[in-house]
Amino acid sequence: MPLEILLPLVVMGIAGIAFTLHFLGLTDGPGLSSDDAARKAWAREFPDAPATNVARSITGRAALVETGDGLGIVWRFGADTTARDLEGAEAQVKNDTLILLLPDYDARRVKLHLAPGEAEAWAETIGQKT
Amino acid sequence: MMDTLNFPKVTEIAVPLFIAAILIELLWIVIKGRGGRYETRDAVTSLIMGAGNVASGILLGFVAYGFFMLLWRITPLDLGTSAWVILLCFVLDDLRYYWVHRFGHRIRWVWASHVNHHSSQHYNLTTALRQTWTGTFTFMMVVRAPLILLGFHPAMVLFVGGLNLVYQFWIHTEAIGRMPRWFEAVMNTPSHHRVHHGRNARYLDANYAGVFIIWDKIFGTFVPEQDREKVDYGLVRNIGTFNPIRVAFHEWVGIFKDVTQPGLTWRERWMYCVAPPGWSHDGSRDTSETIKRKHLERHPEDRGTPGFEA
Repeated sequence: MPLEILLPLVVMGIAGIAFTLHFLGLTDGPGLSSDDAARKAWAREFPDAPATNVARSITGRAALVETGDGLGIVWRFGADTTARDLEGAEAQVKNDTLILLLPDYDARRVKLHLAPGEAEAWAETIGQKT
Repeated sequence: MMDTLNFPKVTEIAVPLFIAAILIELLWIVIKGRGGRYETRDAVTSLIMGAGNVASGILLGFVAYGFFMLLWRITPLDLGTSAWVILLCFVLDDLRYYWVHRFGHRIRWVWASHVNHHSSQHYNLTTALRQTWTGTFTFMMVVRAPLILLGFHPAMVLFVGGLNLVYQFWIHTEAIGRMPRWFEAVMNTPSHHRVHHGRNARYLDANYAGVFIIWDKIFGTFVPEQDREKVDYGLVRNIGTFNPIRVAFHEWVGIFKDVTQPGLTWRERWMYCVAPPGWSHDGSRDTSETIKRKHLERHPEDRGTPGFEA
């Protein structure tokens, strides 16, 4: 297929699908609806390190997780969740956004929009415990 | 002996069909309220990965093709281009695909290229297009060498390889449950391939087939989808980015970091490249074998069931 046909087809195809999905309300998904949901989301990634304590954000976008090995974070990722331990993490706060700088190329900079005051509190906890 | 031979570029021709099929699947899911899930950024990332795969083929395809043409000049054999030869080439290339795919899950250097295809937590037709940008660097083109040395023209080998990939598009869906029994017995299907995309301990390292599921049955890697255990899609440790660059290169970066850490022997550095994903010099990470073993410690009742037989 000539490039002058293939290229617009691909670009318009991607844009069209993206627009349709967003228009259908399929951007993002439900947050962590309960502490139990946060525990399950954590266990899905770290089955060997069960959560002993969970602090779920008011927005439901993330939860700080305490385990026998230290502190971790689980957060909403699109319609799903993912998680990381916070060893070597650096926390910054900008307005009500907690920015986690992780030593991890596939989750280098995690931005979490939290409730007022929550970002500072979480950053302090992370600073103390990591 | 023919030097030039033209076959259609099937993966490019199929692009409009891919787009139409994605829209139909999406419509089906929205109307029926079942049959899969879509999320905007996940789907867009997959589609960009697909476009990048085509672009990398255009930019780097000459490497593999040059290698194949070199072999073609060396070989005294030429099987011609009859329909039977093309059919035989398709079947043998599918066997080639099985092994390349198996290497892709068992050798970290090859996994670094293939991992992005498994990096979505969704399983829909866009996931099929979440393809590698770095396949050339795995050197897996050498696995095609026997086909060309046997007398299959390089253009034919690439053509049937394209058909293989186009076949695999439709099996990336939850909208289709199971196909007729005879079809499930011989062909790779949505059900079989859902298993392959599972991060459940039971489903790890299973169902590498491209078109014919018989290869998995022959080589002992077949695991049927279990009604009592829903497939959980994605990676054992899911990525936390939709950035296509990071999706494409994250495992390569991981290899680089591991190989260059201080205090390792040369053997350990080598093993970080070629050992199965999850291997570590100090045993601090889990391979699929470790994950299965740990699962059985937590769930001994699963021992001997599909995926936990060995």
